[in-house]
Formats: sequence, C-alpha cells, structure tokens
Amino acid sequence: MDREIKKVALLGANGNMGYGSGALFTRSDCEVTFLARSAEKAQAGLDSAKKQVRSVSVGSKASVGSYDDNLEQACKDADIIFEAVAENMAIKNEMFDKVDKYRRPDSIVATVSSGLDISKLAENRSDSFKKHFLGLHYFNPPNVIVGTEIIPGEHTDPGIVDFLIDWCTKSQNRVMVKTANTPGFAGNRIGFKVLNEAAQLAEEYGSVYIDYLVGRYTGRAMPPLATIDLVGFDVHKAIVDNVVENVPEGADEAIETYKLPAYMQKLIDQGILGMKTRGGFFKRVDRVPHYLDFATGEYKESSSIKLPKLDFMEKMKTMHRIGRYEQAMKTFASAEGDEAKLAQKVIAGYISYSFHRAGEITETITGIDMIMGTGFNWAPPSVLVDLIGVKETVQMMDKCEIPVPASLKEADPKQKFFNEQNVNLGKFFVAK
Amino acid sequence: MSNKTYLLGGYQTDFIRNWSKENKHLMAMYQEAVEGAMKEVKIDPEEIDVAHVGNFAAELYCMQGHLGAFFVNIDPAFRGLPTSRHEAACASGSIAIMAADAEIEAGRYDLACVLGVEQMKTVDPAEGGNFLGTAAWYELEGKDVEFPFPKLFGQLGDEYDKRYGLKYEYLAEISNINYSNARKNPLAQTRTWYMNKAHACLQDDNNPAVGGRVRISDCSQVTDGAAAVFLASEKYAQKWAERNGKKLSDIPYIKGWGHHTAPILLTDKFEESKDNEYILPHVRSTVTDAYKRAGIADVSGVDGIETHDCFTTSEYMAIDHFGLTKPGESWKAIEEGVIALDGKCPINPSGGLIGAGHPVGATGTRQVLDCYKQVTDTAGDFQIKGAKNMITLNIGGSGTTSVSFVIGVD
Repeated sequence: MDREIKKVALLGANGNMGYGSGALFTRSDCEVTFLARSAEKAQAGLDSAKKQVRSVSVGSKASVGSYDDNLEQACKDADIIFEAVAENMAIKNEMFDKVDKYRRPDSIVATVSSGLDISKLAENRSDSFKKHFLGLHYFNPPNVIVGTEIIPGEHTDPGIVDFLIDWCTKSQNRVMVKTANTPGFAGNRIGFKVLNEAAQLAEEYGSVYIDYLVGRYTGRAMPPLATIDLVGFDVHKAIVDNVVENVPEGADEAIETYKLPAYMQKLIDQGILGMKTRGGFFKRVDRVPHYLDFATGEYKESSSIKLPKLDFMEKMKTMHRIGRYEQAMKTFASAEGDEAKLAQKVIAGYISYSFHRAGEITETITGIDMIMGTGFNWAPPSVLVDLIGVKETVQMMDKCEIPVPASLKEADPKQKFFNEQNVNLGKFFVAK
Repeated sequence: MSNKTYLLGGYQTDFIRNWSKENKHLMAMYQEAVEGAMKEVKIDPEEIDVAHVGNFAAELYCMQGHLGAFFVNIDPAFRGLPTSRHEAACASGSIAIMAADAEIEAGRYDLACVLGVEQMKTVDPAEGGNFLGTAAWYELEGKDVEFPFPKLFGQLGDEYDKRYGLKYEYLAEISNINYSNARKNPLAQTRTWYMNKAHACLQDDNNPAVGGRVRISDCSQVTDGAAAVFLASEKYAQKWAERNGKKLSDIPYIKGWGHHTAPILLTDKFEESKDNEYILPHVRSTVTDAYKRAGIADVSGVDGIETHDCFTTSEYMAIDHFGLTKPGESWKAIEEGVIALDGKCPINPSGGLIGAGHPVGATGTRQVLDCYKQVTDTAGDFQIKGAKNMITLNIGGSGTTSVSFVIGVD
C-alpha cells in the first residue's frame, strides 16, 4: 500500500517532548490533534509549540482536545498515533489500551520513550497493534536536535520501520538511527556512560576540575557535568538505573562506570536536580559561576578552584582554532602526565564502549557515530579513531587499562571508520 | 577563440555552523574548505598553481586583512603559491572566480583554487548590519541607519510597486520556495527551521518588518561559511579526467560570463532606469552578456538558476531580468510554478541566500559549486532532473556589481 502521514494524534501534548514533536509534525504539513487530560492542557501545549518554533502558523495545522472527549475520533482519523505521556509503564499502558481499541488497523503507533522496553509496551495487545508499534525517540528539543532513534519491537513490521525512516528523513530533516530494543537504546546508552563516569570522578577530583579536563576541546558541545545539570539529576538517575537493572549480568564490560555515585543520590533526595531546580553541579549567583562543594553542600565561586595550565590542552585548543583537528587529537592521545591520563581514560572509555556495543545496540558503529554526532553533538567515536589513528587509539586504551574492542585490535592500521558525507568533522571540536 | 575554463567541483562547509561558538579563527574555515575540496575532487596540493580568495569584510568582522596570504598556511606545499584576495561586497566570490577564469583563459596557469569565505557571527546583528552598510555608499545610505540593506531592498520593492504593481503574496512565495528547497540541501543553514508560506505571510512579533515591505522572512541569513572550487585548463582537465575515469566532455566548463557595475547609490540606479523597462539595466546586461558568450539565445537555454536572493525583492527582480517573464511580470512565473523545484526553470534549488545561507564573500563560489552539482547530477535531493546548463547571478551592493556565469556540459 502507499502509506502516507497526513493526520497525527498526539498524546501528552502538554509535555516538552509532546509539544516539541507536535510542532515537528505540523512543519511537515500534517494535521495534528494535540491531546491531553483536558483541552486546556492541550491548548497550553499548542501555545508552547508556537513559542518553541516562534511561529503562530503551527496553529493553522493543529487542533486541541481531551482524552475523554476526543481520543477516540483522533485515533480513528490518525495515520500515526504519537505517544509522549509520562515516562511510566502504567500510564503508557492505560493509554495504549484505549489506542488499541480505537485505532484503524493500518495506523502506526509510536512512543517517544527514551528507555522503556518497546516489546513490553506492546505486550497483551492486538496483533495489528504489535505489528504497527515502535519507538520513535526524538531528542529534546526536537526542533534543534535532528538525531532521532527508531526502535522496532519484537513484532514490529520491518516495512513500517523502513517507511518511517524514509519519511522522517525526508519530511522532518531527521538523521535516523535504527537501534536495538536495549536499555537506553543507543544514544543514551553510550552518552550516559561517559556522563556518569564523569560524575563518579567528580567525587574525587571535583566538578570544576572534571569539566575542565573533559571539556569541549575533547570533542563535545558541552562539558559532561554541565550536561547532567541540563538533563536533570532525576532523569540521569532513571537512565543509568535502567541500564544497571536491565542489562544482563556479564554483558557489559564497563557496567561499573554506570553506577550512580552515592553523593548524587543524596543530592536528589535533597531536591537538587540541576538547572530545573536552579542549581546542580553548578549554578550562577549574580551571573558569577559557582560550583557545589559536596563536603559542605554550599555553592562556592568556581574561580576559587585553581586549575592547572596544561600544555597538551593549550596546544590542542590552539590547533582546533585553526582547523588542525588531526594534530590536536594526536597530541591528546600522546600526552603524558596524570591529568592527561585521566582525560584519556574517559575518552578511551567512550571509544572502547562504543565499539564494544556496535552490533549489539546498533547494526554497525555508524549508527552509534551518527546518534552521538547528531543527538549529543559529540565527536563520534569513529571520528576520534580516524584522527588519532588506529594504533595510537589502541595504545591509549592499553595505557589506561581500558579493554580494546576486537574490531580495533584487528583493524588495518590505515583503516578509516567514518565515511559520512556532508558531516563537517570540525564542528565537534570547540577551541575552548 | 579563448581557452576553455573547466570546473572540477569543490566543497562547501555546513552553513548551519556558528564558528564563533566553536571559537574558531577564519583560518579554520580555510583549512576545512580547501582540505575538503582537495579530498572531494581528488587533487594533491602540489598540483595547484594559483589561489584566489573572495571575501567582503574580514577587516570588520574578524579584524583581519591580507586574506590571500592565509591560503598559503593551509599546506606546506602552498609556500610560494601566488595568491590574492578579491572584494566586491556580496559579489566577492564571483569576482574571485572571474580572476581565476581570466588567468586560465590567458594560459597563465592550469589549475586554480578559488575560495570564498566569510565569518559573520563574530558580532551582534545590529553591528553586522552596520558593517554590511559599507557595501552601499556608507556615508549617504548606511551611516546611522539601522539595517540599511533591508531598507534599500525594500525600496527596490517600492520601485516595482510604483512602476508595475507588486503584491506581497508573491514575495512570501519566493521565501517559501527558498526555505522549502533548503530542506532538501544537507548543507543549508535553515534546513531545520520552522518556515512555511503561512508564516511568511504573517507580520507579527516573530516576523516583523525590517525595511518597509521587507519582513524577516524576506531576508537572507547571517552566515558563517566557505565554499571552494577548482578551475582548470583543458590540459589539466584532460589529465584529471583520465585519472578519474571520466571523459573530458562530461566535465562542466564556464560557458559564458557577464560582469557590469552600476552607480553605487540606489537612487542613481532608479534615476538612470526611469525610462527603461528594466529597473536595473546593468543587471540585465550582465545576464544577457552571459547568455551571449555561452552561445544561448535566452533563458530557455538553461535548466535552472542560482540567483542572488539577498531579499525576496532581489529574486523578484531577477525573474524578469533573466527574461523568464516580460519586465514587471515576475509574479507570473511565481504563480505558474515556473521557478519551483519541479518547475520549468527552477530558481535556487539549493535554497539560495534565504534558505542555504549568505556568508557574503562565499556566496558567489557557493552558487557556482551548486551549479556544478546540478550539471553533474550530484545535487542529491535538490537535483533538477537532467540539468545540463545552469546560470548564476551574484550581486554586490544594491544591484551595483553584478556577475553571472553559465555553467554547463555539452
């Protein structure tokens, strides 16, 4: 059949991911019904969508309604039912019971869930539902971040997956990455390993120092702990706990780096969650950057921490600034000293973990590369290997006692791993 | 007959990037664009005989002059290479190509690299708008004016309205087409933006007027970016074709060019053309010269256009000046779908300056590179089916310096 997407039923329209995704569908000329517990809440979602993309024209393609009054009709009309309600199995199940009852047998049902088991969400539903159900994980905010994961469940029709990959690529300018239905899928699985390891190291070395050492110059738009502040400690915890609980024992060589540090749990218990509570690892007091002193629980001026001037780091920033990324990353890999070794441990860990997961969470390393590049805005692991060199990357891993993935151990020293046209590698390397 | 100048392709940086946020020096743009071009076109640095750099105002935006010299720093093999920089406001990139083209025609060199480059996000929009004012007669048209260029091109719309009538909906459709095409271009600045005709037709806080009838949606972008292209003599092109398994006849060449300069003040331009059916007659001559030199009668000889839509009014002007309609009837080509991507003569399949972006000094080289992609069937999702010949129009100032190239294969 010639499938098309013209009408969308949006569930959970008043949440961030709900209205952000809703705006995205109206951009592709779809008619979108924004649905929430009440029409007022749905309207608030639509208003937020207009604000997010800065155009009231969103409204010309959208209508609003409540689950009680409008869910049935909206599901009957929809070519895709897009679910973005709270990240909670029970709430989602309640919604999908209704959706299964109301939907047309040919309509797609997608969840924006960032980590729940896709096959489990489809359990006990009609065969038609199971066949048409999958994960479609936009990253927040979807109007800015184009990297998107698509996650088929056990019974999802591969034709639906292919159709949606093509449609989202062409109609929504997405960079689509197909992932396995594994905890955290691909982007979060790789990304939060690095973020959590940084949080673990912060306990010993301090947060200001760790964000300095694993800063933007290592190939990322934002330092790791600042990223956790943005994501929120609660969301961070949910993601790392989900991985620890659901990855089979012995299946993850770096699972230790995934354990939430105890001090973070304490902070969460105290209600310190990051930017959403106006303070996490860092906060600004009268515009002056401050950091949280874990020992005293007080925020102190970040400038009171004396950071060492490191030759390799300064040299790298100078090279990034003039576009010599290969030289910069080679300098990184060969740098000596305790500070360099600590930074190398995190970066080598990122590369190692990614190559170990290729074939498990995505078909090849390219899927991981693309979601890290377009979802997290981090230099993809393959780009780092290409710039550093295969042999030198392996040496860096050995030096930091990081397990070397077979695909790197056995690779031709001249092999290049990243070959995506139209991706400017330079954009990942910030000269700061 | 003069020697042919072949076009071997090149490389464009992703115009979505903000190089100031990356804390990059202009040198990084040189490095990425030229390294990217050498890799893409499979050329070794030792083979390049000469380099030309197009740039408008690095002295203002980056406090850096002597822009030809930076080319030499890209690779040790470039030490000693003859280089120079060319400036003609927004037409700087095309003027740099003109210089390289002339040298190859004259037989001085066999392989030239032309780099257009501009870093603009170093300053806030108001200061940047003031810098751009130096492309007009600054003291008379730019000084103490907030955003002088939208106002000047608003006046171009006013002049059309006065002489022929002009409805805003046609400008909104020009904006809409450029944004829509840009979504298909993986290097376009606005490819992920929220834009549609309904939005362009709105005049509200999100889409205010910035220069008379010109609204935000009618404006091109403030862009950081570079585009590099290789121009070659027949001798080099033959050798290059052989080693890449191509036929010389499949390699595009510059079939024709036009280049004229009008008086710099916009009011002088209007005064000069008051009895002419074309509002900017020197732009018209630029285009007809290019047709003539390419040996084609008129616009029916090309399959598409990459034009200078610094504002929707400039593209509205370009439509009749290219001869797609009679003077003053540009709206017809819009209404009949002629300029749409699937139309008879698509304009700006790349998204143009509105959709793809407008790093001022790089726009001319970007246009030529996009034409190269079209005639070699390598434009991907924004490909015009079967395109053999394309034409550019690159304009500096308020229609002051205009340059046009016909790029094609036989």
